[in-house]
Amino acid sequence: MLKKVFLFITILSSCLFLIVGCGKDDGEQTSSDNVIHTALTGKITGLDPANMRDWSSGVVAGNIFETLYQYHYLKRPYEAIPLLAESMPIISDDGLTYTIKIKQGVLFHDDKCFPDGRGRELVAEDFIYALKRIANIKNISQNWSMFDNKILGLDEFREYTKTCKTRDEVDYSWQVEGLKAVDDYTLVIKFKRRWPQFIYILTDPSTTAIAKEADDMYGKDIIAHPVGTGPFKLKTWHRGSYIELVRNPKFRGELYPSEGEPGDEEAGYLDDAGKPMPFVDGITWSIIAEQQPAWLLFMNGQIDSKAIPKDNFGEAIDSSMELTDQMEALNIRLEKFSDPSTYFVGFNMEDQLLGNNKPLRRAISYAVDRKRFIDLFSNNRNIVADGFLPPLMASYNPEIKKKGYAEYSNEKAKQLIEEAEIINKGKIPLLKLGMPGTGTSYRQMGQFLKKCFNDVGLEVEMLYMDWPTYLEKKNSKSLQMFVSGWIATVPDARDFLEIFYSPYWKAGTKSFNYYNPQFDKLFEQVEVMPDSGERRELYRRMEMVVMDDCPAVFINHRVSYVLKHSWYKNYKPHVFQYGLAKYRRLDCAERANYKQFLKKVK
Amino acid sequence: MTAYIIRRLFYTVPIVAGVLLLTFVLFNLVGGDISLEIAGKNATQETIDEIRHEYGLDKPLFLSLDSQFVNHFKNALVFDFGRARDREPVIDKIKRGIAPSLSITVPMFFGVVFISVSLALLVAFVRGSAWDSLTLFICVAGMSIPYLSFILFGQYFFAYKWGFFPIYYTPGLSLYEYAALPVLIGIVTGIGSNLRFYRTVMLDEMKSDYVRTAFAKGLSTRKVLFKHVLKNAMIPIITRVVLAIPYLFLGSLLLERFFGIPGLGYLMIEAIGSRDYFIINAMTYISAILFVLFNLTTDICYALVDPRVSLD
Repeated sequence: MLKKVFLFITILSSCLFLIVGCGKDDGEQTSSDNVIHTALTGKITGLDPANMRDWSSGVVAGNIFETLYQYHYLKRPYEAIPLLAESMPIISDDGLTYTIKIKQGVLFHDDKCFPDGRGRELVAEDFIYALKRIANIKNISQNWSMFDNKILGLDEFREYTKTCKTRDEVDYSWQVEGLKAVDDYTLVIKFKRRWPQFIYILTDPSTTAIAKEADDMYGKDIIAHPVGTGPFKLKTWHRGSYIELVRNPKFRGELYPSEGEPGDEEAGYLDDAGKPMPFVDGITWSIIAEQQPAWLLFMNGQIDSKAIPKDNFGEAIDSSMELTDQMEALNIRLEKFSDPSTYFVGFNMEDQLLGNNKPLRRAISYAVDRKRFIDLFSNNRNIVADGFLPPLMASYNPEIKKKGYAEYSNEKAKQLIEEAEIINKGKIPLLKLGMPGTGTSYRQMGQFLKKCFNDVGLEVEMLYMDWPTYLEKKNSKSLQMFVSGWIATVPDARDFLEIFYSPYWKAGTKSFNYYNPQFDKLFEQVEVMPDSGERRELYRRMEMVVMDDCPAVFINHRVSYVLKHSWYKNYKPHVFQYGLAKYRRLDCAERANYKQFLKKVK
Repeated sequence: MTAYIIRRLFYTVPIVAGVLLLTFVLFNLVGGDISLEIAGKNATQETIDEIRHEYGLDKPLFLSLDSQFVNHFKNALVFDFGRARDREPVIDKIKRGIAPSLSITVPMFFGVVFISVSLALLVAFVRGSAWDSLTLFICVAGMSIPYLSFILFGQYFFAYKWGFFPIYYTPGLSLYEYAALPVLIGIVTGIGSNLRFYRTVMLDEMKSDYVRTAFAKGLSTRKVLFKHVLKNAMIPIITRVVLAIPYLFLGSLLLERFFGIPGLGYLMIEAIGSRDYFIINAMTYISAILFVLFNLTTDICYALVDPRVSLD
């Protein structure tokens, strides 16, 4: 009897194993299709351009919607070129009026919001509607801060929307002085004062055209019903799991760039010069929060590119910071590129102790071993922040390293602490440093920073908190110090400088609470200046003003390491990753062979 | 029995109300204001105020008919949990997550119960033997190894290295394909503790006089084990089994996250991470109701399997 039962259980288990184990080979489903498969670590919160600031949503939406301008895919430094605009804007002599001609014959995706379900032609009014949606307070757009007090009449429109009880009550025919559609293909925008960075704003997905019909039909659910003009349209969005885009059959067509920068031709980035895009039939993003499955999918050839997880860094990159032999054998390629980002320990300049004690702030700066930090927490990928403007910016000051702002010296730190104690009239009390997370990596970073403080005789309490609590405390100015970072959304240093400009932070969210009249004056001067050598010099001067005041310990700038399979063509790293899938091409035959190749290697 | 059921259903009212009160206090008073996070960087105060208005955070907390607390109760009663932080109705998220969650938790549940109870009967019968010791050793080892290790090991070897299963949920995979490995891991990890528990229950029964009497009367081992011992062991088995059912609806946090199964466990873990109180609140409320209902079901089952238990 006993033997029979054991036999039964053994057979049952084997059957379960065999039945489920004989399923479709997961590599097969991705090997032959001309679809890009990739992963996102963060979930997509919504595909409404008016209310979209998270990276994942922007990356997806950038392939569905199109903006008036885009960055040249190959040229560096980043250069804005027309996309839906016919040409670059005609700017009036006073710099206050932009006249933009729009391409004719551009069609919205077919969607049931249009009569007969056929997408209508894009007109200038669609851009005006999009900007009004951002201004409409009932839409609580996260993008409003970009347009606050910039366009003539738009703030008045926002005031008007405050008087409406619901979003449906808002009348979009309300005239905004600074937004005019002269005809269907001519858009005129007038500013209150010069806004030279506006051309970059027009590359941001938030400024894409919106069809009023889609907004009227879907209302709040427009986040899941994107109706754009781009090369791809939404097929399936299984929230929290995956999103699939397919080629828009009515896409007007766009040609792959024929010019690049030196080295692009050798790297193969110009192989498809002048060919019509897109090259692929679709894109699928899987939302993969954990690193192991994403890494295994990449190694299995099921996703085409992948940033290297911290735990797999040694497997992929050798001590000379190049690919390991194992990766080379698999025909995997490495791409390295700098992000326009800076990470720091910020000081609350309104804190009684820190705000009035520059030697103390400088002592803390000397106490932090940035190189060791980078080694420990980014596998030695990132670069030391000698100032706060990243090297990617045209206004980056190559001479700033000589100033020694990033120097690590416990001796100098201790000397400055002596000065700080004189100012403080006694020993420096316990300091408090807020961490924007409670996970292991934050605790490890906290341990490291605590040790740096302790090494120079400073006591510090690490406050680990979840993200919303952290934000709330930072905004209410109740954090003495905080770990944070900043990523530019446009290739202009103004994006970094504005966080130190007091009228902006006073009206918006708080961080350093830094105030220096000299800096504010310079900011007002450069904000309206067009790009020039003079403006770049002023940016550098402003950076020095901030660095001398030391409102933060600037630690590092991020350098991304991305792996891609050899079949994934035209993959040139681009930090403003909106709408790039149209450039990418797949060698499907090579992808199909990989599975067989991998079997041998395994 | 009807009177008992009605009485017990009335008892659920203060319990569920208590859960609602607790979630309100935790999320609205202790948890703090989420409007800043929703507003994003550089948000002006007026934007933050509008968000507070949209989510009803500008209303009084308690002392009003239109207070946050009263609305919290009213909405919960009609299962209107509002919209999540990404503006999708919470109830839609929950409806969508139920099937993927159940697709792994139900087979896991039945697999664990069937294998654990069957093996428990057998090892209880051969107690003290090498088989019994070996089973116990495997159970303890299985319980000692962290759950996450089973997932990482299973995913790496069974899915990636040997290619028996898909590594992760991808569009186009059928249910049995994407659920197979998580179910297998769930069963393997669940057997240890369950088998030990059921073995103890069976051993208690095996020592009873009626078992000796049954064997003395010449009944076969199969009849003694399955007709008498199993039936008498049903009370603790039912308690454990029925009370585990509400967990099935909650999904499996780690398995869903590692295998990309878009179920309620994944939804919950993401909601906790992003402090989406609307989802956490809804899931807590639904869980409370399920627990209360299945507690009642357990009591009813006692009466059905054991004539000594009366519900009147």
